[in-house]
Amino acid sequence: MKILTTVKKVVDVELNMHVKDGALVEDGMQYVTNAWDENAVETASQLKENNGAETTLVSIGGGDNTDIIRRCYAMGIENGIHVDDPALEKADSSIYAKVLQKVYEAGDYDLVITGKQAQDTDSGQTGIILAEYLGLPCVSNVIALEVIDDQHIKVSRSGDTGTEIVELTLPAVISVDVSINEPRLPQMRGIMMAKKKKITEMDLAALGTSADEVGADAPKSEIIEFMASQSRQAGQKFEGDAAEITAKVVDLLANEAKVI
Amino acid sequence: MSLLLIIALVVFGRTMYTRIRLLMALEPADRFDQITRRLKSVAVFALGQKRLVGRKKERLSGVMHAFIFWGFCVLLIRSLNIYGEAFVRGFHLPLLGDHSLLGYLYVFLKDIVEGIVLLMVILALYRRAVIKPKRLHNSWEAYLVLGLIGVLMISDLLVDGARYNLISLYNNPGHLDFFNNPRFGSEFNWTPISVLAGKLISPLGAGANRVIMTMMFWLHIITQLTFLNILPLGKHFHVITALPNVFFKSLDYPHEKTKLLDLEDESVWEDESLGINHIHQLNWKQGLDLYTCTECGRCKEVCPTYTTDKPLNLFDFNMQLKEELLENTDNLIKRAALANTLPSDGDAENTEKIKAEMAGLNSQKQLVGDVIAEDTLWACTTCRACEEVCPVTIEHVPRIVGMRQGQTLMAGVYPDELNVALKGLERNGNPWGIGYDKRADWAEGLGVKMMADDADVDYLLWVGCAGSFDDRAKKVSTSLVKILQKAEVDFAILGVEEKCTGDFARRVGNEMMYQMMAQENIETLNSYQVKKIITACPHCLNTLKHEYPQMGGNYEVVHHTEFIYQLVKTGKITLNSSLGGALTYHDPCYLGRYNAVYDQPRSILQSISKNGLTELDRHGPESFCCGAGGGRMWMEETIGKRINEERAGEIVSKQVANVAVGCPFCLTMIEDGMKELGKEEDIKTQDIAELVAQNMA
Ligand code: SF4
Ligand code: SF4
Repeated sequence: MKILTTVKKVVDVELNMHVKDGALVEDGMQYVTNAWDENAVETASQLKENNGAETTLVSIGGGDNTDIIRRCYAMGIENGIHVDDPALEKADSSIYAKVLQKVYEAGDYDLVITGKQAQDTDSGQTGIILAEYLGLPCVSNVIALEVIDDQHIKVSRSGDTGTEIVELTLPAVISVDVSINEPRLPQMRGIMMAKKKKITEMDLAALGTSADEVGADAPKSEIIEFMASQSRQAGQKFEGDAAEITAKVVDLLANEAKVI
Repeated sequence: MSLLLIIALVVFGRTMYTRIRLLMALEPADRFDQITRRLKSVAVFALGQKRLVGRKKERLSGVMHAFIFWGFCVLLIRSLNIYGEAFVRGFHLPLLGDHSLLGYLYVFLKDIVEGIVLLMVILALYRRAVIKPKRLHNSWEAYLVLGLIGVLMISDLLVDGARYNLISLYNNPGHLDFFNNPRFGSEFNWTPISVLAGKLISPLGAGANRVIMTMMFWLHIITQLTFLNILPLGKHFHVITALPNVFFKSLDYPHEKTKLLDLEDESVWEDESLGINHIHQLNWKQGLDLYTCTECGRCKEVCPTYTTDKPLNLFDFNMQLKEELLENTDNLIKRAALANTLPSDGDAENTEKIKAEMAGLNSQKQLVGDVIAEDTLWACTTCRACEEVCPVTIEHVPRIVGMRQGQTLMAGVYPDELNVALKGLERNGNPWGIGYDKRADWAEGLGVKMMADDADVDYLLWVGCAGSFDDRAKKVSTSLVKILQKAEVDFAILGVEEKCTGDFARRVGNEMMYQMMAQENIETLNSYQVKKIITACPHCLNTLKHEYPQMGGNYEVVHHTEFIYQLVKTGKITLNSSLGGALTYHDPCYLGRYNAVYDQPRSILQSISKNGLTELDRHGPESFCCGAGGGRMWMEETIGKRINEERAGEIVSKQVANVAVGCPFCLTMIEDGMKELGKEEDIKTQDIAELVAQNMA
């Protein structure tokens, strides 16, 4: 079984985002692997270990993605492809899916595993659009996976009404949720050994396509402006004697908030 | 006689030779410096039997052992005399003949000592067989050795007893030698116990006494030579190795510091030679430790994991490693010889060949998995209680950390729960994984200076991850700031530039993550030319103070309790003794056992408490861990009782109203323990800084 996993480099959302003049303030920002993609990588690595699958990852855009890809090597992925091109600067889900389609067609993959969404845009579209372009079956939000044989897998997805169990004929596309597994931390030895491993770098031309073909000239969606979310005002805290506090709160509600 | 002696010595010599060669085949360790200090520690720990006699809880057995030990020292001289006498009639070691008082005094001492040792042996046998202390394993070896010592004493007393009888009752038929200097009188005036033994056999007549004297002489010699040859085979090897082991103990830090591994060297990753995965990766001192374990069980008795039913039993741990070591004796010696032939001229082909051959001699067993179970390895909190009580100064923790390095760096196998914390460290420089940009949020509005704005300050306040991100510990940071401001101390914090010191990463064997953290921190600290650091976290204290120098970070680091103590002493702050209710103190392992800070916290607490300080049963150097050290803070505790509840229970039993701590992790653990026991309302858990801030004038 040959597996293609997608990995996106995203901004670390643990940090406070600052917006200035409709754009994100880059200073102090740091970039990490998209959390859901780590689950995808872990799923692929487990399939490698348990079912002898061959694992490849592809990452699109982001400039220097070496660290991110090496980290995935250290988690068990065998081959890495990085596609970057100046034309991809404003790429949206549809454009990503087109590029992925090209990567898919260049290899001979049985299963594409993507994270359910990316932490930066949270749109959750790419995997599904890719399946559409490829005309492959697709299951999103996968929380468990089982290999039946070379041609078939069984996946559980968390749906609106409960867990749905779906059998799929390969090739297929799935997108995974965080609850599918606990991604391993890259092995230390793996990180050191990964330094020597090659990453296949390509631009659109090398991939045998063009900005025009993937639609990069005319993105279907575009980010116009960033806005800082309104932070809620801190509430008031009362400490001390219960009777006193009650009196105080009642007083405030009656006289200041005028709700009672 | 000569034959006997030669056989015994040759056999003994061979065993010892192999044992020493095996040690020399192990990894190097630098323990030959500071000879005077080393001799001093031998005087204290070995000759003074500090950890045997010095512990209140173990005084009886300690005294027993001490007397047997001292007796042995005295009797060693006697033995030399006996062997000499076997060859030269009337032989005496210089100065110990009958012409000097010293000779007589020795005779007297030896006589009394034999009596005492005999008594101690009987007591020890009684204790083993009847009292059966829990920590002891009742092995046949122990009885055999005690029996042999008993026989040695009895036979020697009977030799002298019979000699006395023959000389004084039967007119000395064989013209036996004895001390009879007119100035000091007959030898036998100085040997009451031998004379007493003589009285027991005097009715048997001259002939029988002669026979007894000869038989006992040979019995004594044969027993002694047997004893000598039994020593290296079991736990009584410590009779020989304990003195050197104490001599070679770590001096400047309580145990061997974690080695700074060279992670950039590619070959170590390829050869999988980082950490301790195979027995040959121990260093010779660690091997000597294994030889020396006396199987006394003191270590497990104080271990927070063993006492809460976890599988780590240091006693077995050592035994299993020792077995593995001895089993591989031949291969290890061969392996080391091969290592010496590795070409230094970079002949790649030859190097590969030799390396392959060496790998073939590695033990087939992985230390973790095949020799020691995983759960056992990860149970340790690195609290050092075991090391603090070990009478022969064995160092367990560095070995455990070394084995964890092997697991984390090479095998990539370690408890899953650590992933979250390690990832947090990797991304945001703190085990909680909270955005690094929020690190100084706690200090907002407190008027605390940032180094980035003004680095020209007297002190850096190192806040640590807990003090920055943990809601409970933030209150400690705030209190400390209040104290420093009150005392008008000129200080600043690093704010978002500070990262985890890497302590927990290092204890779980993740040297790579540790070095990443340490390197960045040291760069920051050095760029601000920081010299003096105050911190409220003993783990940060320990790492900054003892481990950063390995990487070029040299600072004067004090714990906040040491600093507050100074502030009080110099009158910068005044304390009220206004804290009501009984107060006790829980010693953090990394403050007490690792850094010997015991008195300052106590002195502060004495000053603020109306009712003085109630000590816990386990306190000071024998304090009981809260369960959070060694990375355990970030792992689940699924086996056995919970360590923090055990400790909280001990505090509850003291019926106090307040318990003070000096570590953010102890604070969490003890407070959680109190909650579990439903006591959080009755007993308040607070950091010393909080108590001081509340009770300042
Ligand atoms: S390690 Fe030390 S304390 Fe533990 S059994 Fe051995 S000698 Fe006793
Ligand atoms: S360091 Fe503490 S937890 Fe670890 S073995 Fe020793 S006593 Fe037990």
